[in-house]
Amino acid sequence: MVLPIDGPIPGANYTSDTRNYPWHRPPEYTDYDDAIEYLIGKINEPESQDLVMSLLALKMDVTSVVTSLLLQSISKGKIPIDLAILIAGPVARYISIIADEAGVKHKMTVQTAGKMRITPTSLKMSLGIIDGGKAPAAPVKEPAPAAGGLMGKPKIEDITTASAEEQSAMLGSNDEEPDNGLA
Amino acid sequence: MKFEDAVLKSVKLFLDGKVPPKTAELAEEGRIYTPEYFDALEERLLGEVKEEDE
Repeated sequence: MVLPIDGPIPGANYTSDTRNYPWHRPPEYTDYDDAIEYLIGKINEPESQDLVMSLLALKMDVTSVVTSLLLQSISKGKIPIDLAILIAGPVARYISIIADEAGVKHKMTVQTAGKMRITPTSLKMSLGIIDGGKAPAAPVKEPAPAAGGLMGKPKIEDITTASAEEQSAMLGSNDEEPDNGLA
Repeated sequence: MKFEDAVLKSVKLFLDGKVPPKTAELAEEGRIYTPEYFDALEERLLGEVKEEDE
């Protein structure tokens, strides 16, 4: 008889912590209108509104923006997944309206062919952190400091080398015998 | 069906004026965020923009 000693103890599920992730807990908003109100309020926050408008200006379709917002809310445990799908339409409609009001041209549906990818750089460009109209300027070469001074690099014409005789003398290869009595 | 596909389907249905019928039945006083609500909101907001442009 083999005992299943590696298995969990009966009832272990009642003692384990199941509140590790937000989606393990009951969602904060379970009502249709409350969930829409929460998301509209979130979109109306200045930072979120800038981000949404920037993504639309980058030719990202409204549905993709809505999907991102809904997934974010689900991951935070604000709304359940099934309710997120139900409120996608109203949220998309609201984003479309505020985009029209702001004068941002947008597309509602997904275009799979030639779909533009949002990269961190393109997002920064849209947010104005990077100036998209101008190419990054080439680094300006600073003029080399004038040579001179005690620790400065000497000029080529100032560099003098020892003559062949001096060099051989320094290397100890002269013919004269040392008079120190060692020879 | 992926989540993105479900969202897309939901958006298309809402834009066609269709709302989840059972959720509407659950609300005693009716739903606030209906297609009509957003039509009125659009008219109000975009009407103001047009007036400012003029």
